[in-house]
Amino acid sequence: MNSFLTRYSSTSPDADIRKAKELYGEDEEVSEMMWGSAGGFGNLAKGVPSFKIPAVADPSSFLRMHTDDHADPSCRIKIKHGTTTLAFRYKGGVIVAVDSRATAGSYVASGTVKKVIEINPYLLGTMAGGAADCQYWETYLGIQCRLHELRNRERISVAAASKYLSNLVYSYKGMGLSMGTMICGWDKTGPAIFYVDSDGSRLKGDLFSVGSGSTFAYGVLDQGYKWDLTDEEAHELGRRSIYAAGHRDAFSGNTVNLYHVQQDGWKFIGNYDVSELHYNGPGDNVPGAPGGGYGYDIRVEGRSSSNAPA
Amino acid sequence: MATASVYKGAGFDFSNEVRNTFLSERGIPLPKATSTGTTIVGCLFKDGIILGADTRATEGPIVADKNCEKIHFITDNIRCCGAGTAADTEFTTALISSNMELHALSTGRKPRVVTAMTMLKQMLFRLVPQPTHYHRPPSSIAPFPYRYQGHIGAALVLGGVDATGPQLFTIHPHGSTDKLPYVTMGSGSLAAMAVFEAKWQPNMEVRIPHAHPLPTYAHSPPPPPQRAEALDLVCAAISAGIFNDLGSGSNVDACVITASHTEMLRNLVKPNERVQKERSYQFRRGTTAIKKESIRSLIVDEDVTSITGEAMDIS
Amino acid sequence: MSDRIYLGLPGLATDVTTLKEVFRYRVNMYTIKEEREIEPETFAHLVSSTLYEKRFGPYFIEPVMAGLEKTPSGAYKPFIAATDLIGCLNFAKDFVVAGTASTKLYGVAEGLWEPDLEPEDLFETCAQTLLNAVDRDAYSGWGAEVHLITKDKVIKRTLKGRMD
Repeated sequence: MNSFLTRYSSTSPDADIRKAKELYGEDEEVSEMMWGSAGGFGNLAKGVPSFKIPAVADPSSFLRMHTDDHADPSCRIKIKHGTTTLAFRYKGGVIVAVDSRATAGSYVASGTVKKVIEINPYLLGTMAGGAADCQYWETYLGIQCRLHELRNRERISVAAASKYLSNLVYSYKGMGLSMGTMICGWDKTGPAIFYVDSDGSRLKGDLFSVGSGSTFAYGVLDQGYKWDLTDEEAHELGRRSIYAAGHRDAFSGNTVNLYHVQQDGWKFIGNYDVSELHYNGPGDNVPGAPGGGYGYDIRVEGRSSSNAPA
Repeated sequence: MATASVYKGAGFDFSNEVRNTFLSERGIPLPKATSTGTTIVGCLFKDGIILGADTRATEGPIVADKNCEKIHFITDNIRCCGAGTAADTEFTTALISSNMELHALSTGRKPRVVTAMTMLKQMLFRLVPQPTHYHRPPSSIAPFPYRYQGHIGAALVLGGVDATGPQLFTIHPHGSTDKLPYVTMGSGSLAAMAVFEAKWQPNMEVRIPHAHPLPTYAHSPPPPPQRAEALDLVCAAISAGIFNDLGSGSNVDACVITASHTEMLRNLVKPNERVQKERSYQFRRGTTAIKKESIRSLIVDEDVTSITGEAMDIS
Repeated sequence: MSDRIYLGLPGLATDVTTLKEVFRYRVNMYTIKEEREIEPETFAHLVSSTLYEKRFGPYFIEPVMAGLEKTPSGAYKPFIAATDLIGCLNFAKDFVVAGTASTKLYGVAEGLWEPDLEPEDLFETCAQTLLNAVDRDAYSGWGAEVHLITKDKVIKRTLKGRMD
């Protein structure tokens, strides 16, 4: 435990590596943790993976210069942005719902992105901001969670897992990481959600939405949220919220991915096309759904003078 | 009021300038203007002038028009190839064309190429009186001329045959001019000039390929060097631009001007013709879901209903 | 613009409204002065010179025009044209595109368009080109509209497009 503490008492990755070297010895390149493949995760023996940094005076501003389309719209490399993700806690567990659109500038690069990262059977992470950053570090978090299980003979708590990620991204603060993620799961304390972002924030809460479409999702979510939702109502609320964001936000949409975390782990509920939800709803006789399309023009069709039946 | 502008004086209108600068500062970039990356050339030969141009128009990395016309009409005996901002070359040449016509009518003489050249260079360098309703650049004094100084992005090759014989000029966007026996301009000018430098010689002859097949440089070897003929040379120069310069492409246009007549050879060579698609990509009718349909008939139905009644009193 | 001339104006909303009125005014003036309807090509030149007037302070707009030209024999011939924001005309023989999805439209149209389609087949090709290009553009979408202009009727169809 003492080594665990020293490892996290510093915030710079260089210092971490220095400490790791002290712990494992400079020459001991092959440790017992290196038996298997490192799978692209750098040298795991040294605790935290470290990256090659471009040989320029200020690496992070160098990166920003070439990738940040806010500062320079004509920049050559556009990092994928734009998302709506949400998660909320209720008596039946945690609902996680996300959209599936990836955009690079105005171009819809993909409409089938998996923005929920299945860390392990009890933990889910969501993806907003840099897709690569979220994918890499949450998969890395999965490795650490497994190691925690092996060391301590019990599953890691959501709080601990999220703190691990939070500390990790904080050590890279200011270097261009971009993540806004929710770590959701079920542990000894019950259902839990932690919001973690690349600025270093880590917040515990019942209800979060992250991404460019989050305002639209919050609108529906806040209006329909209560602790005593039935499972069906909760699924419908998640689906309906992401639909609202997909409809109104240019950078969100295509499909909704819905997950439910319960005591026995997470369960994938379904994938729903936003346009299909608009015109026809989630399908016939879906518990919790009112039936028919979500679209307001579909709902009022034939009932207002400006919207005659087709 | 927007409509008031219809009756205002000639010249450009700067009224959106301030707003656009503001929008640009707020991060709303101006859409790209069409430009012609372009290879344009001109050369002297025994009896006159040949002008040549490719036919590609680009919008940034996009090919906006695959077969545009870059050889513009000035007068019967003068033509002008344009490179640079497409709208500028189009309107500049059109303006000079009408001024040349007026000039010819007022002098009663066949217009000369130097006249067009002088008009063009003065227009581009330029000396319109400062528009009084528009804010003046702080450094200028009251009656100072307003200069375009290259802001009108027209790079031109002007050629024609007049009383003084064949004339060939280039005019740069800033207003400078050259008079040379063979010239190239545009992004493909280097490729084209390489061909001219290698093969041009004084007093070449023209060979207009009336009879088929047309010379195609994509497939056949270039003509024998000992007797390079002018039109073939122009084709070779433009083809060099089409194949080696990304800003130029598609077909070769040429124009042969001699003392007696002018012949415009539109799409003289088409080395990049698109082949027939291997299959049809038609959709089955009814593929697209339609929400609403409204039909407006353009056929005017007139029914003449005769109203029987008392005849009108026309006494 | 008239029974046989249609104008698409993608761009800055304020300029769309302004230019719509300017063109309506100028077309009406033309009709009154000339005592005949404006021809599509003449209209295209009207659009072009209106935009070039503001060469150094342009409208943020990229018009596309479609219509039917009257040939000397009295028959009608299809006409399409587009200009850039300062009025450079592009009289294409195949297709013209504009707007935020233009890059995507170029690609799809290049693949799907073929010559001499019947009106209803052209409608399908056009509608599919538009819908598929727009689905790849974050800024366009929320439905689509196609006007099928033939010599004796104009069919306006509102398409069922993706709503996200």
